[in-house]
Amino acid sequence: MTEAAIVVEDLTVRFGDFTAVDRVSLRVERGEIFGFLGANGAGKTTTIRVLTGLLSPTEGRVVVAGLSFERGANAIKARVGYMSQKFTLYTDLTVAENLEFAAALRKIPPEIHRRRSRDLLDFVGFHSRPDTLVRDLPGGLKQEVSLVASLLHDPEIVFLDEPTAGVSPAARARFWVLIRGLAARGKTVFVTTHYMDEAGECGRIALMRAGAIIALGAPDELKARAFPEPLYELHFPEAPPVGWRDAALSAGTIQPHGLRWHVTVRDPRRWEDARGLWGATARIRRIEPSLEDVFLRWVEGPA
Amino acid sequence: MRRFSGPRALSVARKEIRHVRRDPFTLAMAVGVPVLLVVFFGYVLDFDVRDIRLRIVDRDNTPASRALAETFTASGYFKPHGPPAVSALRLLAEGRVKAAVFIEPGFAEDIARGIPARAQVVIDGADNQTAGVIAGYLDGVATVAARRLGADPPADLLRTRFLFNNELNSRWFVVTGLFVVVMGVLSILMTALTVAREWETGSMELLLSTPVRPLEMILGKLAPYLGLCLASTGLIYAAARLLFHVPFRGSLWFFLAANVLFLCCTLAQGLLISVLTRQQQLAMQFSNLTGLLPALLLSGFIFPVESMPAFFRILTWALPARHFMELCRGIILKGAGPLELARPALWLAGLAAALIGWASVKFKRDLEP
Repeated sequence: MTEAAIVVEDLTVRFGDFTAVDRVSLRVERGEIFGFLGANGAGKTTTIRVLTGLLSPTEGRVVVAGLSFERGANAIKARVGYMSQKFTLYTDLTVAENLEFAAALRKIPPEIHRRRSRDLLDFVGFHSRPDTLVRDLPGGLKQEVSLVASLLHDPEIVFLDEPTAGVSPAARARFWVLIRGLAARGKTVFVTTHYMDEAGECGRIALMRAGAIIALGAPDELKARAFPEPLYELHFPEAPPVGWRDAALSAGTIQPHGLRWHVTVRDPRRWEDARGLWGATARIRRIEPSLEDVFLRWVEGPA
Repeated sequence: MRRFSGPRALSVARKEIRHVRRDPFTLAMAVGVPVLLVVFFGYVLDFDVRDIRLRIVDRDNTPASRALAETFTASGYFKPHGPPAVSALRLLAEGRVKAAVFIEPGFAEDIARGIPARAQVVIDGADNQTAGVIAGYLDGVATVAARRLGADPPADLLRTRFLFNNELNSRWFVVTGLFVVVMGVLSILMTALTVAREWETGSMELLLSTPVRPLEMILGKLAPYLGLCLASTGLIYAAARLLFHVPFRGSLWFFLAANVLFLCCTLAQGLLISVLTRQQQLAMQFSNLTGLLPALLLSGFIFPVESMPAFFRILTWALPARHFMELCRGIILKGAGPLELARPALWLAGLAAALIGWASVKFKRDLEP
């Protein structure tokens, strides 16, 4: 199919005077892992809630899994899975009871539910007993069971709102193996995160700031666009030479990174002059900008 | 399009039952506390006044005056009290006696001559409730005394007989009323927390991300607590019959139906509060406010609805407890059936439907305010 999984045009969501989402447009293709980045309160969760049918848009056109919002939120809810930022399972029920309840709300026939939940628990690598109370599970496992609960109805698109917040690095890595596994199964994954290393795993990412998308593209594209000039890492193992800062500033901008500096070179001639002046006291190497550099420059830097 | 799904409501109910089963404390509270409260307050609250402390000042001191004094003490309602040295008025002021009888000199002579004899009664009027009762008793005692003393008996034209509760045993009346108040207050609390808890823990987001409908949620959450409350109603019924010997004159089936209607009202009221507040603590305060005071003061439990100012009398029509009070007293004490009690029963059914509908409408599907 050629139709995109998600099409959003000029989506605006207002709560009273406050504009939470401001004319957002994006398009997510089927089978894509789409990352959604932004500071807290940038409007990521609000956008996801519209796309999952939990919230009505104030303005704009939203088509999710081929269904427009006007056809009713419930039709969308049947086609998408949503794993909220909050932990949504009942901790005083067992894993099996939670899954059974989620399946019953979606009217999944028991035999299909049994087969699918066994498959999915296998898929996420859940090997504890299904009659364990959810509150007795470690954090990473809880998230995996949550994921299973949001996949029971075999949705085309899965929305994951900060799925790895607050779990151990090992569990985070495991969870991303699952996300790639979902994409390999042909699912579209829409994921928000605060971790830059996770953003790098996405096919494309959108950066949100104050309700609007300020950049959208593949990670490498964004890096090239945010840092068109070459980026160098500058390090003085001994005492730095007098006046080094002025020399560097004449060539571009500098940013501290621990004991080292990142220099964005705007004037290559002056940069060569400065390097000649410092000689062996400076260790300099050309580096690739990381997504963190991009994020700092666009999302948290001056508008 | 918007079809109600029974199985889905049922799965909500099953989930609620699991919550309750995992929490034995709540279960015990729900079933045990109401019966404990009814038994406890059933013993404490007693509107019958007995052994009223009475000071008799006999200034005549004749066989006739002594006979009058004896009539008071022999009635069982009064007990002579207070040292003779202390004046009767002082005893009244200090609250050591509730009433005093002054028999004036010449009392016996007046009776012998057949003219109205003089004896004065003074009652402590600071406590309205008991003063009324004492005045009633004193009247009765005076009639008896007059007959014994051979004086002209007062006109004996009106003889009153109390139907349904011959002795005006206030305990029957109190226990039945207590049952209504206790069930009313506690059942609201049972559901008031359930929706708010889902908002607080985050599970509401899971519920809302599925196509579950508000009415399915409301009915699914209501049904298990209806069962719990009926169990505790059964216990209260047993206690009322065995401990307080309250008669049960009506139909058990009609009583059960009335209970179901009433509990649907209060449980839906709890759900409505929970849906609106979305916070457990706020929901708790609201249910106490809207549950306890109206049930206690406006239901006709103690203060008759008929003697309320018009505005409040009309207000009480919207209170499930007021109609249930009428139903309970009618069924239990009078043996009235659906025909006699059609009006309160229909009101209760209407209120139940309205509250369930209201809670469903207010059950927000949107996440943001």
